[in-house]
Amino acid sequence: MQDAKFLKIGLGTYTALFIAFLYAPFVVMGILSFQQGPEGGPQFPIIEWSTYWYQHVLGFAPPSRVAPLPIGEALARSITLAVATMIVSTVLGTLTAQAFRRHFKGSGFVFYLVVLGMMVPGVLLGLGMALVADQFGIPRTWWGTAFVLHVVYTYPFAFLVMLAIFNRFDGSVEEAAWALGVPPGRTFRKITFPIIFPGVLSAMLFAFTLSYDEFPRTLFTGGSEVTMPIAIYGTFAVEIHPNLFAFGVLTTVFSFALLTVYGLLMMASVRRAKVRISGLQEEIE
Amino acid sequence: MSIDTNMTGTIVQDKTTAKKQGLFNRYGHYFLLAPGVIWMILFLVVPLIMMLYVSFWTQTTFAIKPDLTVKSWVTFFSSDTYFGALLRTLRIWLTVLVLTFAIGYPAALFIGQYVRNKTVQTILLVACVIPFWTSFLIRVLAWRPMLGKEGAINIVLMKIGIITQPIDVLLFTELSVIIGMVQIYVVFMVGPIAFMLARIDESLIEAARDLGASSWRIFRKIIFPLSLPGVVVGAIFVSVMVLGEFATASALSGRKVNLLGNIIVTQVGSLKWAFAAVIGVVLTLVMAAVIIGLLRVVNLRREL
Repeated sequence: MQDAKFLKIGLGTYTALFIAFLYAPFVVMGILSFQQGPEGGPQFPIIEWSTYWYQHVLGFAPPSRVAPLPIGEALARSITLAVATMIVSTVLGTLTAQAFRRHFKGSGFVFYLVVLGMMVPGVLLGLGMALVADQFGIPRTWWGTAFVLHVVYTYPFAFLVMLAIFNRFDGSVEEAAWALGVPPGRTFRKITFPIIFPGVLSAMLFAFTLSYDEFPRTLFTGGSEVTMPIAIYGTFAVEIHPNLFAFGVLTTVFSFALLTVYGLLMMASVRRAKVRISGLQEEIE
Repeated sequence: MSIDTNMTGTIVQDKTTAKKQGLFNRYGHYFLLAPGVIWMILFLVVPLIMMLYVSFWTQTTFAIKPDLTVKSWVTFFSSDTYFGALLRTLRIWLTVLVLTFAIGYPAALFIGQYVRNKTVQTILLVACVIPFWTSFLIRVLAWRPMLGKEGAINIVLMKIGIITQPIDVLLFTELSVIIGMVQIYVVFMVGPIAFMLARIDESLIEAARDLGASSWRIFRKIIFPLSLPGVVVGAIFVSVMVLGEFATASALSGRKVNLLGNIIVTQVGSLKWAFAAVIGVVLTLVMAAVIIGLLRVVNLRREL
């Protein structure tokens, strides 16, 4: 027993170190984003603490030898692309998962076909799509060739999330509504959708974040108008500056904000469901 | 009389709606499936087939012609650079896979087995996932000031007095690529394993303990075999991502370590489409072999 306790403490310490290891680059990024500018480079030691690189990212800093990040256009493209991908892949995922609620011939084939989309590495799919575009004379654009690949990538995630939701879904509620003569559209709006809403929200979140950060697929198919990850990749070849780290901190904060909104919506939806159930019970009683 | 016609009228009407519903019931799910399946065939299957097809085309200086040849394939296997890249990719993949397993398993064991409170479990797993909210490329770049000659690791080690000279093999070597990849992908190993470990019925372990089994024996005979499906899922995730990698290699090796993915990028950059396609096909085959091999270990459909 003494042994087991010792083991537990040992593993706990290890896990703490492990999590520290996961956060190390994040912490370094945070510290170096406050490097002095514009001379200070992305390395230790910190010459002087400053918020220069944040001003630089947001476009407040006076022009210097460091080119500003193409925040405005590239970020707008990335977000537009992520929103479009989110909508299309959530709709496709929900439709497909809805079809999987009953057994049908060829379900195994369809399942693997869809899941293949998240398994094939981006560099292969990007290459394949670039070849297709090249041969058929399709112009390569972020809103065309890159967009369809983003959906190929995120739709399987949305599908799996919705599949898990529908697996726990009690179909008799819908049947009851149909039996009472509620039209299918209204049943979907009033019964099905409220129940699957948390799943839809998770699917949307997955699709948005994956698409927003997507990069190997976009690299080959995005054409000359770059998205944010491609713009960052462009800096690999040349010198990097702390403005990238400042940008990283800002986007992480933005992501947290998004996650908080997601959490709040989720909680609200759960609470509403609870209120509705207790209301129904009161009516019955 | 009038009632009769009325009744037949409703019956007929009912029949048609029933027929309509029957039709929808029978073929409805095809309408639901069609958009997704068509999308995947057009934008996933067609590009992959195109890649295979183009790998047999003739490459001229800046264009490809659909005259079938195996010239690009011969070039790949007879060139030391390209065949070497295949071997290097396999070596780095295997190293990263073993390391993610060795480093990830103890953490997963703690989260899945020793933390019995579900809330704490979730909090720990979420804590592992939070770093993913930073852009992948920026996370990779953040390793540069960590590993460099004047980087964080060297500064800390010198301060403690473990080393007197900065270690300069940390950055722009194969080692830095491996460190970076392990850190980025280890979570994909931890998640599935912790998930499987948390599902183990505690009474099973208690029973073994009551029967006098040692901790090590319990781990070897019960815990590890039951976590194996998680290991396989994690290994598939890590393998697929590492084999298709190129960004970490180009950021942390100073373009010295070229994986198959890096070669595809350079070949596309110089419009050598046929050759890029050959490497793409090789990569696909390697990946398929790895996944099939891993699935041999455990029958996932039965276990999950």
